Amino acid sequence: MSTPFHLHNKVILVTGASSGIGKQIAISANEMGADVIITGRSKERLEETFKSLKKGNNGQLIADLQNQEELNQLVESLPELDGIVHCAGIVKPFPIKFLTQEKITETFDVNYSIQLLLMAQISRKKKLKKNASIVFSSSISAAHPHKGGALYSGSKAALESFSKVIVLEFSYLKVRSNCIASAMVKTPMYEYAQQQGTKEQMDEHVNKYPLGVGLPEDVSNAAVFLLSDASRWMTGQTITLDGGFLLGDF
Amino acid sequence: MEDIFEFIKKIEFEIDEIDEGMLQPETNYREMEGWSSMLGLIFIALIDTEYDVTINGEELINCATIQDLYDVVKAKKQ
Ligand SMILES: NC(=O)c1ccc[n+]([C@@H]2O[C@H](COP(=O)([O-])OP(=O)(O)OC[C@H]3O[C@@H](n4cnc5c(N)ncnc54)[C@H](OP(=O)(O)O)[C@@H]3O)[C@@H](O)[C@H]2O)c1
Repeated sequence: MSTPFHLHNKVILVTGASSGIGKQIAISANEMGADVIITGRSKERLEETFKSLKKGNNGQLIADLQNQEELNQLVESLPELDGIVHCAGIVKPFPIKFLTQEKITETFDVNYSIQLLLMAQISRKKKLKKNASIVFSSSISAAHPHKGGALYSGSKAALESFSKVIVLEFSYLKVRSNCIASAMVKTPMYEYAQQQGTKEQMDEHVNKYPLGVGLPEDVSNAAVFLLSDASRWMTGQTITLDGGFLLGDF
Repeated sequence: MEDIFEFIKKIEFEIDEIDEGMLQPETNYREMEGWSSMLGLIFIALIDTEYDVTINGEELINCATIQDLYDVVKAKKQ
């Protein structure tokens, strides 16, 4: 095939693949030719994603990545990888005044530490192939925080920094690493965020998007590009996907 | 769980935007001057921290008065 816009002959790991954005990225990457290995905590929902994978030699591995033992086991079972998409994440709005170590640890574990530990283990076990592409699911709130975002915005900003460190440390393998900073995307996390506020607040927010809120496939299309050789000179960057939200009033 | 007056005292003490004596059991807190989505988050966090009870925005909105809110927290505490 002469176009680089495909994922044939690539093996790609997707975390958070049991739901929302990660699920769609697994499906899209597979449609574009990749063999995908999906991971998540919920056996049922991961199986659902697995059933949607139509071709190739795919795998599914259940793991609670906050559990070091399960994370290590996951890495042990992995083949060498051409791509990793980090989609596991949680959002828990919490005002500064009531923060506790427990709250900080919870969000930073899931949104930051497990990504670092995964990269540490995968690289140490020599499962990162030359020219591999790493993609992180970040948020516009990393650079444009919101009230109550000390945990979530902070963890995503940290993740965007980490992505750049990967580029520097793995340059000898020509590994690339990029982030996708999405605004509101319709997933179960969106439903959860809506519950933390109210439907009215969410409707008001959604009205500020010239193109409306995003769908998981809007993110997965960008992820496919970042995983493919079409983006082979792109690294250490963040692609913003916001349907025009950050442009301001329209 | 403590009675509603203790509950009110705690809210008035912990939330800077709310002064002592501003709240009664029958107060409709979302119609108070200065109510905002941030105050909503603070209510949720205060209840989480002090009572180890998780309420969500929709439940908060379904409570008209402080008494309603107290009843929700109390019911969840059991
Ligand atoms: N939706 C949005 O509007 C939006 C916007 C910007 C950025 N993002 C980011 O995009 C990513 C995916 O979001 P989403 O909306 O697709 O969320 P989602 O539907 O809630 O999915 C989150 C995924 O993370 C997994 N996960 C959570 N904790 C985990 C743990 N301890 N170990 C392993 N897996 C864990 C979940 O697995 P189980 O379900 O199996 O437990 C699930 O697959 C997140 O990082 C999020 O911050 C989302």
